[in-house]
Amino acid sequence: MIKAALKSVVAHKLRLGLTALAIVLGVAFVAGTYVFTDTINSTFTTLIDDVYQGTDVVVRSEDPGFGVEQVGLPESLVDEVRAVEGVGAVAPSVEGIAQIVKDGEAIGGQGPPTLGFSWTDETELTPLTLRDGRAPTGSGELLIDAATADGNAIATGDVVTIVALGPPEEFEVVGIASFGESDSLAGATLSIFDYETAQRLFNSEGMVQTISIAAAPGVSPDDLTERVGGVLPQGVEAISGADQVDETLAEVAEGLSFLNIALLSFAAVAVFVGAFIIYNTFRIIVAQRSRELALLRAIGATGGQVTWMVIVEAFFVALVASAVGIVLGIGVAAGIRGLMAAVGFTPPEGPLTIEPRTIVVGFAVGLIVTLVSALLPARRASRVSPVEAMREGGSPPRRRSLATRAITGTVVAVVGIGSLFVGLFVGVSNAIAYVGFGALVTFLGVAILSPLAAKPIAKFVGWPLPRTIGVTGKLAQENAMRTPRRTASTASALMIGVALVAFVAIFASSISASVRASIFDNFPADLSVQYTNFAEPGMGGISPDLGRQLREIDELESVSPIQFGQFRKSDGGIAFVTGVDTATIADVYALGVQSGSLDAAADGGVMLHVDTADDLGVTVGDTIEMEFALTGVQSVTVDAIFERNDLNTPYMLATPVFHQNFTSRFDQMIFANVAAGSDLATARTAMEGVAADFGNVEVQDKGEFVAQQEAQINGILALFYGLLGLAIVIAVLGITNTLALSVFERTREIGLLRAVGMARRQVRSMIHWESVIIALFGAILGVAVGSLFGWSVVTALADEGIEVLAFPWVQLAIFIVAAGIAGVVAAALPALKASRLNVLEAIAYE
Amino acid sequence: MTTAHDTRTRIAARTEGATKIYGSGHAEVRALDDVDAAFAAGQFTTIMGPSGSGKSTLLHVLAGLDQVTSGEVYIGDVSLNTLTDKALTLLRREKVGFVFQAFNLIPTLTAEENIVLPLTIAGKKPDPVWMEQVVTTVGLGDRLEHRPTELSGGEQQRVAAARALVSRPEIVFADEPSGNLDTTSGAELLGFMRMAVRELGQTIIMVTHDPNAASYSDRVIFLRDGKIVDELLEPTPDGILGRMKGLGA
Repeated sequence: MIKAALKSVVAHKLRLGLTALAIVLGVAFVAGTYVFTDTINSTFTTLIDDVYQGTDVVVRSEDPGFGVEQVGLPESLVDEVRAVEGVGAVAPSVEGIAQIVKDGEAIGGQGPPTLGFSWTDETELTPLTLRDGRAPTGSGELLIDAATADGNAIATGDVVTIVALGPPEEFEVVGIASFGESDSLAGATLSIFDYETAQRLFNSEGMVQTISIAAAPGVSPDDLTERVGGVLPQGVEAISGADQVDETLAEVAEGLSFLNIALLSFAAVAVFVGAFIIYNTFRIIVAQRSRELALLRAIGATGGQVTWMVIVEAFFVALVASAVGIVLGIGVAAGIRGLMAAVGFTPPEGPLTIEPRTIVVGFAVGLIVTLVSALLPARRASRVSPVEAMREGGSPPRRRSLATRAITGTVVAVVGIGSLFVGLFVGVSNAIAYVGFGALVTFLGVAILSPLAAKPIAKFVGWPLPRTIGVTGKLAQENAMRTPRRTASTASALMIGVALVAFVAIFASSISASVRASIFDNFPADLSVQYTNFAEPGMGGISPDLGRQLREIDELESVSPIQFGQFRKSDGGIAFVTGVDTATIADVYALGVQSGSLDAAADGGVMLHVDTADDLGVTVGDTIEMEFALTGVQSVTVDAIFERNDLNTPYMLATPVFHQNFTSRFDQMIFANVAAGSDLATARTAMEGVAADFGNVEVQDKGEFVAQQEAQINGILALFYGLLGLAIVIAVLGITNTLALSVFERTREIGLLRAVGMARRQVRSMIHWESVIIALFGAILGVAVGSLFGWSVVTALADEGIEVLAFPWVQLAIFIVAAGIAGVVAAALPALKASRLNVLEAIAYE
Repeated sequence: MTTAHDTRTRIAARTEGATKIYGSGHAEVRALDDVDAAFAAGQFTTIMGPSGSGKSTLLHVLAGLDQVTSGEVYIGDVSLNTLTDKALTLLRREKVGFVFQAFNLIPTLTAEENIVLPLTIAGKKPDPVWMEQVVTTVGLGDRLEHRPTELSGGEQQRVAAARALVSRPEIVFADEPSGNLDTTSGAELLGFMRMAVRELGQTIIMVTHDPNAASYSDRVIFLRDGKIVDELLEPTPDGILGRMKGLGA
């Protein structure tokens, strides 16, 4: 009996341990997300404090711009500000984007930007300090940050190429700078030039971005801010250094909160899947302990007390698991970092930051999810009748009406799909919330319905087994079918993970197919130049000098650069606007002009995509209002309406008009055709000869352009797979858990099979195949639900340029096969345990 | 019937100095203490004894479910002591049949599938003539397609008995096979087992504490404190009861 009791304790540990693991992983993801974003945040906080240390007042344009579009100030203000009483030191700053190229290779730019600054001798007003060498003087000299220097083996005296808004230029590295205490600015590359050189490189002659001011001794920053503000013209403002820090931090926090929410929604998926596992485990545990619970009832415990007992057990499991999860979150934070780095975005590095909030949220998530998931099973426990204590082998599970389940499940699923469709197809304002809620409720509906499908699907999936591997297969199939609810809720967890993965795969392959179709159908351009850095529009791009040089190549014609910018619509929303060369764009991009003409737009009008025009209710000749950071609200005439939107460019301006309204001079891509009389290979070689010096560009033909777009999509796809991976791992653990519990429950049965001659290998095979059936059931449901999501989302986005619905059949089939393999892995431990049961103890087991 | 105990009769299973010790030191329990026993082929032998006498342990070591601490156990000429788990599994599959007191059947399989289970595990097909004979003898008739939960306790035990016989094992081991049955069902099952011995030449070794059940067998051996203390041929319920009283059971 002692042996049996010990065995029971060990089994108890195992089943609670596996449940706890589901909680641990979910909590770890949540905590890891916070640690990750908090770490970035605190890294930035330190940096920004460094930047403005010693700065009492900042003079800047009143309009902060949209996105990263910055508006400069006239240089003459510097002297006016210097004349204000109480001003100590003054440092104007000229800023821009500068690509460092060494030996033809672009450095950095994959995530953090490639920044360029002007040097100032006012050391208290700059975070930059000379670590080595001397300050840059005159054209041809620069400083770079220590991290970039160390990371790329660049030393004082080396020569590098710099690409800004002009042609590539050679510079000598005359010194190495550090940024405050650290080697770099959150991973950005820094190039520091003298004042005039910076103005020349960044197209800012006579302009500065900001003016930093230090107060004279005894002058308070607030007083000085007010005094400086008094001499500034309209549109320029003075702000105290402290306020500037707060404002910048708020911007960083806002950007990070987006990342935070994105990552937390993946964490939510993991937690949601975990909830299924917890629910399932507690349900099975309660069922297995029904005799024990009935005994408690028989000796006088109330139903409520029994419920409490289960809840308290859940509470302790959750408490321990959440604590472990929070600790593990640090590892997850590193994992997220690695994942983002692997797909080409390198977040800044800094000391790990664990806020008290992370710990509170971690425990809250772990406890709430566990307790809510355990609530239904706990209530079930209270309904165990005392008489069950006397019955041999427990009572058969109560069967609730299938009709009730079918109706409930259908209603829930219909509500979910309904909400999903409302979000996708009806123009509601918070569509994403409808879609998210719809997906969640659809999952619940399918999970409620799945026990109805468990038996037939398990039978179908397991159909070949009895015919191929005989009685072991037959038993595996029957075991998977015998408790449909258990099989179904185990499979449901996997269903959610697989559904999301399948959805992402369908979505991505539809985008790829759409891109492919639109590029081959609608881009007559033979060649293109792409910017290879990973940067927001405005935070970098192709030097306009490249376009100028390409135009001089005889082998090319219709060289057509494209610019991107952001503006504010009259409804307050921010939208992208594209700058195009009206003379050549039609040769490289089949816009399908419906009315008006591109030439008409050359002197100041806007070109609209037909859907946008319809939405705005305008036609050619009407005017719309566009607000630009640089020039404010402009009334613009609609000069052309076009049909195709393959580059997602519903608003287009002629390049000169674009340049009137934006400070940035970067091009985002350049299209070109092979000139008559030349051939693709020759034209391409000529193009590459020019482009090579720029470092951060790549010449592509149509096929490569498509491949690059697909590579980008696949990169994001890989990130999504990685982030969804944890949910899948949790789901697979759920299978392990259910099987372990089932093996425990079937100890005598397995003992009997062994007694009548079943070999250990056959026992293992039986459990493996049962697991495979459960996993395949989950994967099939998942692919079905994921296909529904994929179909509806792609259909809804047909107007946004995703015109082709492509099902990646091979990939979906691989998911299902992989799920089957995952089933084998999940079954490894339970199968081993089952095969090692001592036959004599198993048949004597009670 | 004396021929059944003739010395020339083939021995289906035997033990030589079989000793089984559980625990150690102060808590040491000798479940079997130097037991020499032989079980003739084609005979129905019952092992009886009070609780803790070692009767179940003797059955388990004979069946290869448990191993002796010292001594030898043979099924036919095969010594079980040196067999690996794999070999023991094969032995159980091919040479031994089991009927337990309860939980004899796999709930997910039909009666027929349960009966042929040892054969299907071995990847063999049942001999249809023999299968027919066993099924007819068991008298399940049209219940073969039913699941165990749809069968009465007596029917379930008869299915178990049919399963034990279908692979024509050298020995069938029965551990309180009628323990959970009412009198009528118990009598049917035991009658069937006796018939299997008389008419099909089966060897059966059974453990029971019920003198009435034991009276269906050809021979009863009595155990007390792990030792064989008595033996009775051609037993009757009263005769067994008398011996049991003598053992202080």
